[in-house]
Amino acid sequence: MTRRAAGWKLFGGYAVLLLFAAIYLYPFLIQIATSFKTDAQASSDPLALVPNPFDVTTWQRIFGLTEDSPVPIVRWLTNSVFITIVVTAARVFFDSLAGYALSRLRFRGRGFLFAAVLAVMSVPGVALLIPKFLMVTYLGIYDTYAAMILPLVVDAAGVFIMKQFFDSVPVSVEEAARIDGAGVFRTFWSVVLPMAKPALITLTILSFQGSWNEFTHFLVTTQDADHKTLVTGLASLASGELGAGSQFPLKMGAALLTTIPVAILFFCFQRYFVRGANEGGVKG
Amino acid sequence: MATIDGSRRASGGIRGREAIAGWVFTAPMILILGVFLFIPVLMALYVSMTTWNGNGSPFAGGQNAEFVGLDNYSALFSRDGLTRDNFMQSLGNNFWYVLFVVPLQTATAFFLALIVSNRFLKGKSFFRTAFYFPSVTSSIAISVVFLFLFQNSGAVNAILAFFGINGPAWFSDSRGLFHIALGKVGVDNPGWAQAEVLGRSLWAWSSGPSVAMCVVIGLAIWTTTGTFMLLFIAALQDLPVEVDEAAMLDGVSPWQKLRLVTLPMIKPTLFLVITLGLIGTWQVFDQIYVMGKGAPAGTTLTPAYLSYQESFRSLKYGTGAAMAFIVFVIIVLLTWFQRWLMREDRGTSRRTRRAAAVAVGMQQGKQAGGPS
Amino acid sequence: MRRNTRLALVATTAAALTASACSGGFEESSGAQQNTGKAGLTILIGSSGDAETNAVKEAAKAWADKSGNTAEVVVASDLNQQLGQGFAGGNPPDVFYADAGRIGDLAKAGNLFAYGDQVSSAGFLDSLAQTFTYDGKLQCAPKDFSTLGLVINTDLWSKAGLTDADIPKDWAGLEAVSKKLTSGDVTGLVISGEWDRIGVFAKQAGGWIVSEDGKTATADTPEMKAGLDEAQKLLKSGSMKYAKQVDAGWGGEALGKGKAAMTIEGNWIRGALSKDFPDVKTKVVELPAGPAGNGTLLFSNCWGVAAKSKNQAAAVDLVKAMIATDQQMAFAKAFGVMPSTTEGAEKFAKEYADDAAFAAGGEYGQGPVNIPGFDPVKAAFNSNLEQLASKDTKAVLADLQKNTEAALSGQ
Repeated sequence: MTRRAAGWKLFGGYAVLLLFAAIYLYPFLIQIATSFKTDAQASSDPLALVPNPFDVTTWQRIFGLTEDSPVPIVRWLTNSVFITIVVTAARVFFDSLAGYALSRLRFRGRGFLFAAVLAVMSVPGVALLIPKFLMVTYLGIYDTYAAMILPLVVDAAGVFIMKQFFDSVPVSVEEAARIDGAGVFRTFWSVVLPMAKPALITLTILSFQGSWNEFTHFLVTTQDADHKTLVTGLASLASGELGAGSQFPLKMGAALLTTIPVAILFFCFQRYFVRGANEGGVKG
Repeated sequence: MATIDGSRRASGGIRGREAIAGWVFTAPMILILGVFLFIPVLMALYVSMTTWNGNGSPFAGGQNAEFVGLDNYSALFSRDGLTRDNFMQSLGNNFWYVLFVVPLQTATAFFLALIVSNRFLKGKSFFRTAFYFPSVTSSIAISVVFLFLFQNSGAVNAILAFFGINGPAWFSDSRGLFHIALGKVGVDNPGWAQAEVLGRSLWAWSSGPSVAMCVVIGLAIWTTTGTFMLLFIAALQDLPVEVDEAAMLDGVSPWQKLRLVTLPMIKPTLFLVITLGLIGTWQVFDQIYVMGKGAPAGTTLTPAYLSYQESFRSLKYGTGAAMAFIVFVIIVLLTWFQRWLMREDRGTSRRTRRAAAVAVGMQQGKQAGGPS
Repeated sequence: MRRNTRLALVATTAAALTASACSGGFEESSGAQQNTGKAGLTILIGSSGDAETNAVKEAAKAWADKSGNTAEVVVASDLNQQLGQGFAGGNPPDVFYADAGRIGDLAKAGNLFAYGDQVSSAGFLDSLAQTFTYDGKLQCAPKDFSTLGLVINTDLWSKAGLTDADIPKDWAGLEAVSKKLTSGDVTGLVISGEWDRIGVFAKQAGGWIVSEDGKTATADTPEMKAGLDEAQKLLKSGSMKYAKQVDAGWGGEALGKGKAAMTIEGNWIRGALSKDFPDVKTKVVELPAGPAGNGTLLFSNCWGVAAKSKNQAAAVDLVKAMIATDQQMAFAKAFGVMPSTTEGAEKFAKEYADDAAFAAGGEYGQGPVNIPGFDPVKAAFNSNLEQLASKDTKAVLADLQKNTEAALSGQ
């Protein structure tokens, strides 16, 4: 391959990549730009990435700083934050407990439990909408925070990640602790868990992302306006249920609010996201 | 060292404690997954065999929840009427959706992975970030943005107008792609396509995805290529460099190298990506909810959304549950078929297959965004 | 180990199935025990905006203060879905807006407490009483109604050189003015592409989807065809467009944004226009008559009382307070709906001469189809109507006939 051919190839490669990158990033930039436009400009000049005039009314409306607060976005935000924090903390704790037990503790029925976890993981989400509604109604907790949080508190995928990780930890450390007379929980909490930091961080990030972006679960287990999260609220706003007119800057603003936390998390902890995605890959 | 007696006692103690600890540690998982996933699925299975309309208990029988066995299932295939029409249309729509999305997203992800993994490329991290970012954001938020972009006078049509193309009214256009193409050569609802299969004419079945559905297809590809690109990058990085160099020394052209060396070596990842794609595309729901709930003319209706609509809006939970289980069966069949193909091809070890199966479940969990 | 695993799995499944067979938290469908003493009512409404929400809340509070009970007003974001889930969960609101089109579904499922006999002395308009009668009983008290009228942008009207004399009185007139008003970016007539607007043409031609007693499907008739054909004619000529085609969410938005010179909408357009498009000057006239005379569509909700409510007596008392003429006139002032009683309607017509066209529609308006199971039929029909310009009206009506008959036979 000649120098020039290689040069052209490289140039072509970069051009294609930049074009794709533009296509992938443009919608987010437009989201930001539109939230700073007026309703009229959003309709008349949808392509423009620079709002003219720069208008913060939409953001004022979102945070309730104007008299007409059409949608309780702050309430949605509060719900999202509360639920995400509780679910993430719970998942990290319970998933690592269960993962450790399945990996390290020997007890009858362990194999069966693990097989059951795999089986549950293979049920596609589409088949779970109605079942979740049924159970929540059966327990009498329909349309409560309990219904939004309890079912999400443990997830099979998280248990699996932790088990896989603990499988890879050498047994020697634990054995040393045991001989020293430490109890099972003590061993787990003070010795093994600190070694599991990378897996825990991955699990935290995946749990945060999963519960923040959760939609269908909240859709079927709640209906009160007070229980809406950013995602369910945005969905009802966008599907036209909350008033007429296509107020796109407002919708873009709400969508942006929904995207920002995960985006920040993503940029700070990228390699854990990548690792999380690859946990699904055919690796060791 | 302790006496024999003492050590036996100690080991029995440790074993016993381990067993108790084992059950205590897994108790929350058993409780939550059992109560909120396992049992509900069984409940729904029962409901799918009744005509429950939402009133009172589905297990009480009687007028509100009559037990009808497999009638709901057979009605979806054999009873002439709106329910079957809608269900068949949703199956058709989803089929076209899968047919377009899976190959396109796999090819795009692979293509991007190839370029980004290139040894000579600078700014790898930036590109990887850019392409993967859409995958972590909420599908609802993205759908709203696309709603904005694909308006009649929105950004996409503005860009098309720049090239002199008159963009269609994306969300109001219910014409199928294949119908449009056939129409251009003068074929429009010919007599030979009037034969009905399961209540729909052959002409209707062969419509291809509607223009509105194409927007959803584009959205799916845009969102998922990032994740699959990462999988391909990992696989490509695992390729031994010596094979690569040996191929180059042999004077193999880049295209031949791709076909004869690279592709065969990443077959496991390729099959994984296709399997994940198949599973994910049969469950598309969030985007449909935001982008029209089946409009225009039911061409963006999918079985997952129809199951929800039939249950929670038409209050026919039995039919809705039956639809959900049918989709469940379709997905399971497709997954088995994929795994069978993979086994045939590579004679892979049991461990690899097990790992692949698990990987599938994991990604499903992430795509569903929920606990499982 | 394998066999044990499988056995264990089977045993667990069996146990789980047995456990879930108990009815658990699902309420029994037998009549609810009535509370005595002070009642705490929940009222679920589907509000059109702040004006309506505040008006209802004030009215509820006034009643609560007077009667010594409490009343909580909840605004639904998706009324039908929330009602459905409320009924399934066994804890429905005591009082709720029930849309006329859903009366059949609700009554058939046993969700309504039919208290019509307790309020029949209020003197409801005939068309309204008929809309809310199912199975021979008046299921609930109509709370108000709206009709469709022809809303004209007066600026564009005079700019096209038209005067009051040109206000269309029949189909030919409508075609003529729509054509005249269509120029450049402006379409003469823009409506939402659904039966809830297109139906006016069918009514003006003397046709409707079901017979007056609601027991026979009359979709595939020459009158219905005449109505659809007229709408199709207007669409094909380009003087009528659907709101979606001009990037508007509904006819009112198209009118407000200046994309339409006229639209067919109901009372609610007043509030929407004054809020979102205050600069647009409009005038409302009665819809032109068709071959069979005047025709318009009528929309109404009623105050539904849940069969499972434990406070039925208090609920009915609340409803009686809500339908009193003075209260209805207060609602009319707040958010533009028209009172449901003859007395109220007359008072309305006198006080709000501008909306006389809407009020007149009460005489010849057609309420929605209220047979159970009609929702999916309507959705499929609307799908066809979305592409009315390119469809064969006879085939569309044949489909509608078939589906309506299926719904009537209880499928």
